[in-house]
Amino acid sequence: MLWIAIRMLTGDKQKFYGLVFGIAFSTLLITQQLTIFINLIERGASAVYSEPTADVWVMDPVSRTPDVNFPMPATALDKVRGVPGVEWAVPHLRAGASVRTSDGDLEGVSIVGVDDATLIGLPKRLIEGDISVLSQPDSVIIDDVGAGKLFENGADPIGARLELNDQRAVIRGIADAIPTFTSQVTLYTKYSQALNYVPGTRNRMTFVIANAADGITHEELASRIEEQTGLRARTREEFAQDGIDFIIENTGIPLNFGITVALGFIVGVAIVGLTFSLFIRDNIKQFGALKAIGVTNAKIRKMVTVQAGLVGLIGYGLGILATVAFIWGFSGNPDFKGFYIPWQIPLISCAAVFVILGLTGWLSLRTVLKTEPAAVFR
Amino acid sequence: MALLPENLSFSRKVLPIIAIGALVLAVIFIAMGLPDREQSEPEKEPPRAIGELANGARVAGSGIVEPSSELIEVGTALSGLVTDLMVQPGQFVEKGQPLFTVDTRAIRARAAETQAAITEARAALGEARASMNEAEAAIAEARTAEQTAARQLALYRGVDDPAAVSRSEVIRAEGEAASARDRRRLAETRLQQARARVDQANARIQSAQSQAGTTRTELSRATVRAPIAGEILAVNIRPGEFLSNQGGGNSAPFITMGETRPLHIRVDIDEEQAGRLAMGQPATVSPRGAADNQVKASFVRAEPQVVPKRQLTNTASERVDVRVLQIIYALPAEARDAFRVGQQVDAFIPATDGAQGSSGE
Repeated sequence: MLWIAIRMLTGDKQKFYGLVFGIAFSTLLITQQLTIFINLIERGASAVYSEPTADVWVMDPVSRTPDVNFPMPATALDKVRGVPGVEWAVPHLRAGASVRTSDGDLEGVSIVGVDDATLIGLPKRLIEGDISVLSQPDSVIIDDVGAGKLFENGADPIGARLELNDQRAVIRGIADAIPTFTSQVTLYTKYSQALNYVPGTRNRMTFVIANAADGITHEELASRIEEQTGLRARTREEFAQDGIDFIIENTGIPLNFGITVALGFIVGVAIVGLTFSLFIRDNIKQFGALKAIGVTNAKIRKMVTVQAGLVGLIGYGLGILATVAFIWGFSGNPDFKGFYIPWQIPLISCAAVFVILGLTGWLSLRTVLKTEPAAVFR
Repeated sequence: MALLPENLSFSRKVLPIIAIGALVLAVIFIAMGLPDREQSEPEKEPPRAIGELANGARVAGSGIVEPSSELIEVGTALSGLVTDLMVQPGQFVEKGQPLFTVDTRAIRARAAETQAAITEARAALGEARASMNEAEAAIAEARTAEQTAARQLALYRGVDDPAAVSRSEVIRAEGEAASARDRRRLAETRLQQARARVDQANARIQSAQSQAGTTRTELSRATVRAPIAGEILAVNIRPGEFLSNQGGGNSAPFITMGETRPLHIRVDIDEEQAGRLAMGQPATVSPRGAADNQVKASFVRAEPQVVPKRQLTNTASERVDVRVLQIIYALPAEARDAFRVGQQVDAFIPATDGAQGSSGE
């Protein structure tokens, strides 16, 4: 009987492919747009996530995100080190600067100064070079996306000389880092070197990176630091969320993507609903005949559910495949570096498909259930 | 088409299989693509408090290694060319040991000059003495002649018979007596002059001798000696260079030295934290970049003055608003190899209060 339902569904090829296309299209739209949205706002947290060792970030009470910060006096480091439960703490500097390339171009960069002695604060992996190059004079490590932007003609960035605040900087390594929201070129260097590259204000140290001792949670440590030093301390997860929240609050991105996702949903409902009800109406005679030979309403409900399930499976599968192909196809593009599909998003679009099919199926079933067996003769 | 079953339906069988395959593929892709947000341990050991301090109340500070005598920038009293350099960096010297000499040729020339002046004055003294003797002899001779003339005159005067002595004899005797008196007076004047010349010569000798003393002092000043026993830390002069004692701007000190047995550490503590500090407790210190090399340093003293924090960026435009209390700790002798003068260190010091801080609330 269920096989009959499937044959009934695929018998009308135009409507069947129309249904599959509708589901696939709305799945693609919802999944792909949500993916890009999530990845885009997570760029606000990429600075936090590219620092692999920090448990807690300590900053001036007015600092908000890795890039919206206010520097502290140098003794703040010692204050943090004096808090019980801090296993270690190192200085960290993030500041904007302008760089002049050998071609004479001006480019805004963000300078990241990592602890001189331990090099804590560098990204986990380098694509080229070794972190020991920072011990050479005037060394900087550039991020890979930034290298592509700064050297558009494809020149080798290694060994290239830049001018930063009247100082010489030589690129000696390329880091594998996710770009920040502003996609600025990021240059990693030692803290003491960074002080020379950043135009001087009195206080320079923007962050202190602290790690919790064994047996103390990050949240507990953060509140202890806040209590004892009066500075603002955020755990890694909180600070990543701060960066994301800042983008959500200060840009129109959530609204734009929300509209697109809603459109995907509406288009899905419209196409699928229209086609499905047309399909049911066309087959109303067959349902009438089935009823005439004694098929119960429950059986008919099951049949329609199977039809919807098959359409949903194929449409959803193709839609997800298209999204994966899209993300995979653009993974080589530096603007899409680090883009991934969070596992929650396919589940969300799956739920959306369920809602679309359930809604349209229920609407069209109402007519079927009310059908008299005599309809077959009309 | 032999490979495929005959009644294969694209829409009924192939499409669902493709869809399931796509879902599996997507699951794999999504699982592989999840970003790596694992936290990792730092490769190099950062400075951390150990032992009781790890979870106890503590104050952290950064410091700098210095000699226990503090740095002595040896200067020179005399300007001049460096002619001899007797020490090199790393050498241990005793108190008073010569370090370097500046050019002494001019001083030596002056010494020779004063020596000549002494000799000349001595010669003049001898000459004056000789003429004094001469004058004394002349006085004696004149006295004798005067006495002889006086006796002769008295003899003549005692003769009653005027015819016995001719008038001319008497006049001659009177003349002789007068001339002998004059000669004596003259010799006496010459004696006085000679005496004056002797005094003068003596004075010249004394003056020349004191000048000789001055040049001797100058000569010894030209050799700069170690003010204390200690280690030579830096030598910024080479033989042949000109040294000025006028203080030439921001030039480097000629020789830097200090007593490095033991080494001291000057730790900067933020003034806000200074109140919490447990004075007199030993500090745990480690050199920058070698955080696993921790040693206990004993308390020496706290500087009475709170000073502006000196930043270590060394830029001329540096301004400060943080003030720090400086506390001096002594390093144990066995840690001498791990620490060098001028090196930065990280220090952890026990604090007096519990976990709740005294500041920022």
